[in-house]
Amino acid sequence: MVTVEEIEHVSKLMKIDVDDHSEYLEKVQTMISYFDILDSAGVESEEISMPEIPIEELRHDEHIPFGEKLIEKMNHYKGTYVRAPKM
Amino acid sequence: MMNLKISALEFVEEAKNGNVSVEEFIGKTLERINDVDDKLHAFLSINDKAIDQARDIDKRIKSGEKVGACFGMPISIKDNMCIKDSKTTCASKMLENFVAPYDATVISKLKKQDAIFIGKTNMDEFAMGLSTEFSAFGPSKNPWNIEHVPGGSSGGSAVSVSSYECIASLGSDTGGSVRNPASFCSTVGYKPTYGLISRYGLISYANSIEQIGPLTRTVKDTAFMLNLIAGIDPNDSTTVNNNNEDYLANIDSGIEGKKIGIITEMIGDGIDPEVMAATKEAISKLEGLGAICEEVSLEMVKYSVAAYYTITATEAGSNLARYDNLRYGYDLPVEGYEFNSYISKARKNFGPEVTRRMIIGGFVPSAGHAGKYFLKAMKVKSKLTKEINEAFKKFDLLIAPTVPILPFKIGEKIDDPVSLFLVDINTVTANLTGKPAISIPFKIVNGLPIGIQLLANSMNDKLLLQAAHALEQTVTLPEVPI
Repeated sequence: MVTVEEIEHVSKLMKIDVDDHSEYLEKVQTMISYFDILDSAGVESEEISMPEIPIEELRHDEHIPFGEKLIEKMNHYKGTYVRAPKM
Repeated sequence: MMNLKISALEFVEEAKNGNVSVEEFIGKTLERINDVDDKLHAFLSINDKAIDQARDIDKRIKSGEKVGACFGMPISIKDNMCIKDSKTTCASKMLENFVAPYDATVISKLKKQDAIFIGKTNMDEFAMGLSTEFSAFGPSKNPWNIEHVPGGSSGGSAVSVSSYECIASLGSDTGGSVRNPASFCSTVGYKPTYGLISRYGLISYANSIEQIGPLTRTVKDTAFMLNLIAGIDPNDSTTVNNNNEDYLANIDSGIEGKKIGIITEMIGDGIDPEVMAATKEAISKLEGLGAICEEVSLEMVKYSVAAYYTITATEAGSNLARYDNLRYGYDLPVEGYEFNSYISKARKNFGPEVTRRMIIGGFVPSAGHAGKYFLKAMKVKSKLTKEINEAFKKFDLLIAPTVPILPFKIGEKIDDPVSLFLVDINTVTANLTGKPAISIPFKIVNGLPIGIQLLANSMNDKLLLQAAHALEQTVTLPEVPI
């Protein structure tokens, strides 16, 4: 069962400002409770298969010039730097 | 009178031969959008250069210059694909003012073929939903009955094709997001083999399973679109080489002697009797065309929705971390904020469904919970893939209704997440296993559409389109009443 404290903790980790954590409690609990069905899938001994791509099939790791200064498109670009909130 | 109801292939033929003026067609299409879109809300933005682009294509056709295969065909694009210098909002307040600095691969491929992007379509925010009710800019409406949802998350795309606001559209399908609205709005909707179409420039939701796919009036139009956009892309390492397969060639090969498995878990509890009756009718029609249909069980389907939501929430939680309002986001002044609180404050602009999924996406893979949820979900995915691969040793194709229920009323399920989840039960299997799947418009019952879904083995997209075309030829449907 998910608690308000857990929602508060996770939303902090996910960097989401939530005014009222209890507002999300019921639906998140319902969703997570539904996921409990996975317990009866009987897949404990199943191996997880992952697709593998040989490294030689990947494109070369090289700089491709974009043609435009993307930094200038940022919200708080100040000519020579981007203004960010203080750490 | 300009006929906006023609198929893509008909349009190309007419435009190529000079029987249709592209400028006039685009003009009438824009008029149509102007007339009906207040009611339907398929579009989030319209291309204000469309007429100029059409005029240019007309000029090139007349002068005998080379013109791309689309000949100015109006195509709508789901608003999660980047078109250079156009807004790409993902139907989110977070990206309300984001102007894409580059073209997605599918867009650059279609630009080369002289497609005209008539507008960007509405969707559930960040593609998280299946009814288009979770758009930050308001829901789209089903043109068959505007009190009902059009499906989602590519709801705007399906509405735009179904209501003649364009000829074809591109959507994205993470758990059925092309096929579900195609079924609800009576269009063809295609989810290709994973990797067949590049995802470069598609705003990521759940990379490991999502694919771009066309929505069209006919199966032949889907094959035509696939010919233009499929294939390997150095910018997307998950793309596969299709050796320039021609999906349109021999599309009328028929399905005589093909073995089709009826997935029993997709016609069980919770299926609407009308949908069940339509499915039986489709099976009988396929048998009439010479196919051999037998039941097949995929036991993991029962767990597929839980696995799907666990995996997608986890990937979404990671993908959405990039929205920090510094690189993307709305214009919030930085003064007076500490770094973390600034980002958290900006991210408050995600809608409630996206926020819920991010909370779940943080919870299910976290220490102490990953073994119970995420790892089990991945194991279900693996076992389901084994089961379906085994089924394809015996069968050429699989069949099920695309959605087990009819389009529901707007607001009917919005407060019941599990009931909404289960609408996906028949579509998520293709995504979790990477298989191609298509929804074919099959029936209208009480004024609402029912689609039938066919699936094939990986890279058997051509066979799948041939079978879908065969089934489509057995069906005559009424016109959309709008």
